[in-house]
Amino acid sequence: MSADTRPARPGQDHPGQNHPGKERGALSIAGLNKSFVIGGRPRRVLEDINLTVRPGEFVSIVGASGCGKSTLLRLIVGLDADYAGDVRLDGQRISTTSLDRGIVFQDHRLFPWMTLEQNIELALLNTDTPKERRAQIVADHIALVNLKGFEKAYPHQLSGGMAQRAAIARALVTEPKLLLLDEPLGALDALTRVHVQNEIQRIWMTQRSTMVMVTHDVEEALYLGDRVVVMSPNPGRIRRIVEVDLPHPRDRRSPLLHRLKDEILAELTSGAGQGEEEPTNLVHLPNREER
Amino acid sequence: MTGLLSLSRAPVRFAIGLAAPVLLLLWWQWQATAHISTFAPPGAVGQAAAALIRDGTLLNDMLATLGRAFGGLFIGAPLGVATGVAMGIWRPLDRLLGPLLHGLRQVPMIGWLPLIGLWFGVGEGTELIVVSMSAFFPAMLNSHAGVAQVERRYEEVGRIYGFGTVQRIRFILLPAAMPLVLTGLTQSLAFAWIATIGTEILTGAGSGLGVTMQLAQTQQRLDIMLVTIAATALLGFVINHLFLRLRRRLLRWQPSSL
Repeated sequence: MSADTRPARPGQDHPGQNHPGKERGALSIAGLNKSFVIGGRPRRVLEDINLTVRPGEFVSIVGASGCGKSTLLRLIVGLDADYAGDVRLDGQRISTTSLDRGIVFQDHRLFPWMTLEQNIELALLNTDTPKERRAQIVADHIALVNLKGFEKAYPHQLSGGMAQRAAIARALVTEPKLLLLDEPLGALDALTRVHVQNEIQRIWMTQRSTMVMVTHDVEEALYLGDRVVVMSPNPGRIRRIVEVDLPHPRDRRSPLLHRLKDEILAELTSGAGQGEEEPTNLVHLPNREER
Repeated sequence: MTGLLSLSRAPVRFAIGLAAPVLLLLWWQWQATAHISTFAPPGAVGQAAAALIRDGTLLNDMLATLGRAFGGLFIGAPLGVATGVAMGIWRPLDRLLGPLLHGLRQVPMIGWLPLIGLWFGVGEGTELIVVSMSAFFPAMLNSHAGVAQVERRYEEVGRIYGFGTVQRIRFILLPAAMPLVLTGLTQSLAFAWIATIGTEILTGAGSGLGVTMQLAQTQQRLDIMLVTIAATALLGFVINHLFLRLRRRLLRWQPSSL
């Protein structure tokens, strides 16, 4: 999948505004280490992370809780600049937040005191988007996530799935080169989840911005990702990177996806002799163990 | 059936709310006929009220009292909100002023009256200062708490979208703190009202409901005292009610009605 072409969105051409960089949204992480001080002692949460994400690529990161995957996203988005090593977007080292990088959190984080429309428009506050175009751009993005008719709704009036889609629209409205998704569907029920997964895939296919999504759902990671990064905890390391060589939009029933899912699950549950205390009462799945 | 019930719900509630005052009135009439000297009968109070309304005294008093209460409120409450918000945003200011203000607020506002009266003389200035101070503290304390407890996850959203300090205050801190700020203002309103009537009774300068109350006491005019008490209760009730409606409107984004 060559993803370097970013087709102009309908009604969103920027006359006279050409992007100087040849590359848009190339993320490179090299020799990244991160520690937190917990109880007076430093504890390493990320160790020697190396990862390059091509412009327009969709990369999923899976791993058990505590493997530092959310910490990794916070570093990439720039909410935490205290790390060793290098995190660069299009060659520039990341040290703070920027409108080039958007994020969707697990909790939608819409401001409860603003309507859906106001929430999304607020993201444009510090962009150079002309004031008179903003309303139209906001309306376009509300349509993009299928929330037409809910412009004046307050977040508490939206369902979980709707609020999460609104959060995605807010993150996209600034046209970030890189969109980070931190377990965006973690709090949704199974059905809504499938629905919003389809929606994310559709949006990614129209936008073609680089996306990095953290999830603990292996199936979701495989369904959306061009590549799936498998991480192991204590300290968080990249264990394996799985190429998912299937075109989008994908079919959930694809045998390749199911085979990869079994592989990754086996790897995640095996522990692979990390020297850490392994819980002995893991649920054993007979079918999986034969592999 | 249920439709009829829900239709009649508001009037029913209103009637129930009236039951206690009416019973009080009946008991009062009975008491007044039994002990003439300590109780003025409702009829006499009604006549006094009519007289006070006719010669404009009651309206004059109400306006004077309202003017003092809102004058103090409009000085004290914004200062309180500003101080509280500033202390909530900027830690050093909290460290510098916090202990002083928390110490000062332990003194009941009426307790300041003798000192301030000595400095500024007995008159409008002193009353305004005391009422302003009464309105200041609840607004300050609640605004401080409101800003200090704004969730970090919302602050992070502001950082992601590159908010500057002013944007952060305007779009995140103030709206997030608004429920508590308004709680503070409700209390400021009540405190200002109490302080106004209190200082009027104690200083007795100019006109005002408290002044007339005090005067009526020295003249043993039970009927006038009761008229002014009723007027005070009614005004306070109406102001509070209007403010609660405003509050509900400002907080319409909140999931549960307050």
